[in-house]
Amino acid sequence: MAYPYRHEKETRVLSEHFGDPVARTLDGYRKRGGYQALARAIEMGRDAVIDEVKASGLRGRGGAGFPTGVKWSFMPREKKGPHYLVINADESEPGAFKDRELLRWTPHQMIEGALIGAYAIQAEHVYIYCRGEFFEPAQVVARAIEEAYNAGIAGRNVLGTGVAIDVTLHLGAGAYICGEETAQLNSLEGRRGQPRIKPPFPAVMGAFGRPTTINNVETVSAVPHIINRGSAWYKGFGTEKSAGTKLYNVSGHVVRRGNFEFPLGFPMHELIYDVCGGIRDGRQLKAVIPGGSSVPILRADECDIDLDYESVIAAGSMLGTASVIVMDDRTCMVKQVRRMVDFYTHESCGQCTPCREGTAWLGKILRRIEEGQGTEADLDLLLDLSANMTGTTICVLSDSAAAPVVSSIAKFKDEYLGHIHDGACPVAAVAVA
Amino acid sequence: MMGNGATGATGATGGTTPLQGGNPGWAGERGEFTQLSEADVRGSEYVGRRPANGGVGGAVSSMPYMLPEKDPNAPLFEGPYAERLQKILARYPDRQGALHPVLNMAEELHGHLTPQALSRVAEVLGLAPAYVRGMATFYTMYNRAPVGRYFVQVCTNVACNLCGGDAVLQAFLAETGTEPGETTPDGLFTVMEVECLGACGFPTAVQVNSRYFENVEPGDVPEIVRQLRAGEKSTDAGDGGAN
Repeated sequence: MAYPYRHEKETRVLSEHFGDPVARTLDGYRKRGGYQALARAIEMGRDAVIDEVKASGLRGRGGAGFPTGVKWSFMPREKKGPHYLVINADESEPGAFKDRELLRWTPHQMIEGALIGAYAIQAEHVYIYCRGEFFEPAQVVARAIEEAYNAGIAGRNVLGTGVAIDVTLHLGAGAYICGEETAQLNSLEGRRGQPRIKPPFPAVMGAFGRPTTINNVETVSAVPHIINRGSAWYKGFGTEKSAGTKLYNVSGHVVRRGNFEFPLGFPMHELIYDVCGGIRDGRQLKAVIPGGSSVPILRADECDIDLDYESVIAAGSMLGTASVIVMDDRTCMVKQVRRMVDFYTHESCGQCTPCREGTAWLGKILRRIEEGQGTEADLDLLLDLSANMTGTTICVLSDSAAAPVVSSIAKFKDEYLGHIHDGACPVAAVAVA
Repeated sequence: MMGNGATGATGATGGTTPLQGGNPGWAGERGEFTQLSEADVRGSEYVGRRPANGGVGGAVSSMPYMLPEKDPNAPLFEGPYAERLQKILARYPDRQGALHPVLNMAEELHGHLTPQALSRVAEVLGLAPAYVRGMATFYTMYNRAPVGRYFVQVCTNVACNLCGGDAVLQAFLAETGTEPGETTPDGLFTVMEVECLGACGFPTAVQVNSRYFENVEPGDVPEIVRQLRAGEKSTDAGDGGAN
């Protein structure tokens, strides 16, 4: 099959040019309408741009879903020193692979959105914080930045308007926690990626002690479209509270994995069984993690929902980054939860005791259950630990590690008990039979 | 064969070469990888060449390319790299902000971060050596010991794990005859487990040096390792313009 997959039902706004190498050059992007929105935004003025983005209903695509225009409006109107915009391109949530595609195929779309955002919040410098492993996407972005400078789009005199905005690509060095916005600011400043206590919020004291806004790649990539076609057009997609289109990044046991763009509120059943071609090898659906590994697991019978922020919360999980991880009936939940916990153990920054110690203990207990050495009391211990790890730390990494443990014990307790009582995985036994 | 090291070799301070289209690291539904050479896993062919002095300031921190030869004793801030340091410093309001890109540059030249390099970076940026060492130990991508010429990192996190990531890791270990993190006696391979690479739709994702291979299955591994070995020995393996 060709790459990238496309599906006829998709509403391609951000992903329209995925797979088109010409569109990632400046000339190619301009021929497709690129950088008209930036010129228009500067004509409109800062307040009008923020109002337009507010009216569009655009919400942050990095996971939290905070309204973007509102976030921008938190920045001081009276500028007393440098303001910064940081683009969070540190995509590293297990299950998430949408920003990588945006970076490698549509770097100018992101840069244009970032320049519009920077203009709106009076930021004189945009830092694109890209995870270090994304060498290829980073090289694509580096070239786009180079082109933007050479063409007078970035720099001292943006499009000849006298507005000055610098753009700098900054590579991380392999730390999941740097996707958390205050850890990212610390990392950008040349510190360990340890989250900061809020307040002060970044809009008051962010990068280098100055007012800063952090936006996800996908969020700013939507901005040029909103400026070009208007907030009413954008708000026409999706639901009342979850407006616009979203990249659904689907992984795991489906026939067609990949990024698929739809209006928010797209039905999960249709996504899995139609767009992605159903479950591989004719197997049955067992569970779905709808928003990246940090959100609670849904059982197959809980999956008949729409994928917008509100509907997924109502179902007991979160949309997060719309990174849909699909698991079939051969999946050992204990093993997968243990693997996710191992990840959080590795990525804990070590700052808060409940997280530093808790993640390691969760992993040890899960491993002994997985290996048939656990007891029923271990389940209580896991839940007790998880309760002590939730809401007790500076950032939510600790909560994220506990979430799959709690939700899997609630929903797949028999599988844990099978490991405990029989000393072996009950799913593996069924799969072999 | 893609690995023709001659493409656009312009020397250490040379200009850029075009990007390749498509996604050459992608093996499709079944593992059919384009024949590889070393240049393919060091970025120069795959993403095009960038100048050692960093080019335009905004793109200076992007690791211009992966050098074919690492020299742990190479001087850190000389020639085009001195120029690159100045460009990096100009992008941040204080010297500490430059720490990541400068450490990246040191690792790029040396292959890993030696205690001497950490001290030198500390000196240049006006920071305490212990502080810089603390940074280097916090971040996974800073290697403080040498790794093989081909640094193979296999994702075994949940999305890849569901689709056989563990078996792909085992296949690489078996094919190279190593334990995780160990380097082969010929210095060619170090194989490690890695946390999510952000390519969950293309399991199993494997990073070899700077390049991703996607949709890797255990059966593909012997051929990938064989090609990398052959690429190392072939005459067009290096990306020539690096030194």
